[in-house]
Amino acid sequence: MSGTLVSRPAPASDYEALIEFLYLTPVGILKFRPDGTVAMANPAAAQLLMPLAGDGDLADIYRLFSRVAPDLRGRVERFRAPAGQICDQMQLPVPGTGTVLTLGINKIDPDTLMAVVQDISRAIEQENRIRDDQQRFRAIFENVRDYAIFTVGMDGRVEEWNRSLNRLGGWEAADVAGKPIGVFFPPGEASQQCGAALLGRACRHGTAEFEGWGVRKDGSTFWGNTVATALPDREGRASGYVLVTRDLTERKQMEDRLVVLATTDPLTGARNRRAGEARLQEEFLRWQRYGRVFTVLMIDCDHFKAINDTWGHDAGDDVLVALVRICHETLREADVTIRWGGEEFLVLLPETGREAALAVADRLRVAIGAAKVQRDGQVIAATVSVGVAEAGEADRGADDAVRRVDQALYRAKRSGRNRVVAG
Amino acid sequence: MDTTYAKAGTLAAPFALAAPGLFDWLETASAADLDTLPFGLVAMRPDGTVERYNLAEGSLSGLTPERVVGRNFFTSVAPCTNNFMVAHRFETEPEIDAVVDYVFTFRLAPLKVRLRLLRRPDARWMYLAVEKRD
Repeated sequence: MSGTLVSRPAPASDYEALIEFLYLTPVGILKFRPDGTVAMANPAAAQLLMPLAGDGDLADIYRLFSRVAPDLRGRVERFRAPAGQICDQMQLPVPGTGTVLTLGINKIDPDTLMAVVQDISRAIEQENRIRDDQQRFRAIFENVRDYAIFTVGMDGRVEEWNRSLNRLGGWEAADVAGKPIGVFFPPGEASQQCGAALLGRACRHGTAEFEGWGVRKDGSTFWGNTVATALPDREGRASGYVLVTRDLTERKQMEDRLVVLATTDPLTGARNRRAGEARLQEEFLRWQRYGRVFTVLMIDCDHFKAINDTWGHDAGDDVLVALVRICHETLREADVTIRWGGEEFLVLLPETGREAALAVADRLRVAIGAAKVQRDGQVIAATVSVGVAEAGEADRGADDAVRRVDQALYRAKRSGRNRVVAG
Repeated sequence: MDTTYAKAGTLAAPFALAAPGLFDWLETASAADLDTLPFGLVAMRPDGTVERYNLAEGSLSGLTPERVVGRNFFTSVAPCTNNFMVAHRFETEPEIDAVVDYVFTFRLAPLKVRLRLLRRPDARWMYLAVEKRD
């Protein structure tokens, strides 16, 4: 038995190991008496407290903490219980250094106190950075113009109102907080699907974009662009979305105006030839693929040269403007009037067969003939000849239909003008 | 010729921490020579690895050379020196001969010490000398 005792490691080496353990402890530990006398301190404590001491004197803990915790002595003295925790993780910013220490003191018995000191500057700095980021982010949220930025939960509901939503759509907190994002889309099933579809795509791809109509609180619509970005949680799964919406109404209006400018004949307001050909091509493909019949009319102003010569070119222009106006008034919305040449207009009648087209053509002919274009107090008598051609099996392209309608028009002219001839 | 101390290995060591010829003496001193010094002395490679840890230093700290030699002094032996006053100077100044007042907590009791930091670009090792002060 005594042999085992003898064979134990030398106590000196145990002691050395213990000393080393305390030397390397990264937390400051001090043992002190109620009067403040430091009895023991590990190197980490010395390292943390030396800057407080100034002169490097660690003998008195109250003196050490006099700048950062002036009432420490009072706190210890007021703690009447024979033992217990006096303070725990008390945060002590060191003036002028950016350092923040924590101090914990335990009373072991009436003569013995233990203190733990840690430097939490880095954690505090991190916390501050996060708080700064949040504030910055909030400032962006609230103050961006022309954009609304808001977050949406996985359930597709708006998480929180902010001022940017008010700017964009006049929304108040009660209108949107906790509401499905459908509130931002116009009523109707198709529009209402847009929000959910956008979030679905963002969930799958990380980010998704939508451009289309949005709605304001007052029910008015705006053309907007919305980018949705999925916010990953710690495991990388989507935990919600941030949506950025921009009001592009002005841009959309500008684009629409440009489209009109690019596709319209400036004099008459009819479709220009280029845009008209494209539209005709579309219609022909539809006929080929789905058998949806259409008919074209070719309208030509009779004796137009004589009108110009007699009344002047402005009068000729007036006649053409009146012609197109009558077409627009007489035809359906889906029908297209195209300025094909100088005084020649092609009218496309989708979903219309030969017989119905003939009736339409004659109605136009009569209406135009009855129009009273005035010039110098006199009425200009203008008539039109109209060719009619229905898309047919033999047509290999829209051009073939146009060729046939040209021929029909030619026959109408040849047979005396002011009439309708079907090809 | 400096007569306050003799050549290492032949006679007595320089007895004062601040002695002007200390560095030269240390460069040729053996481990046994270092043990004759009346103050603590740590010899380190430029990266801080301990090469020598003399008797006086061991009796101050309670650590033996066996435990200390081969380890990084600033991070694994005396982390309380791993700061701008000691470790940072050794890391950034190619040549130092400076005396610094400091507090060590040898055996967990705060102890005011005087340090001498010695480093030269051409030297075998860099040295930290430690003695008690009032």
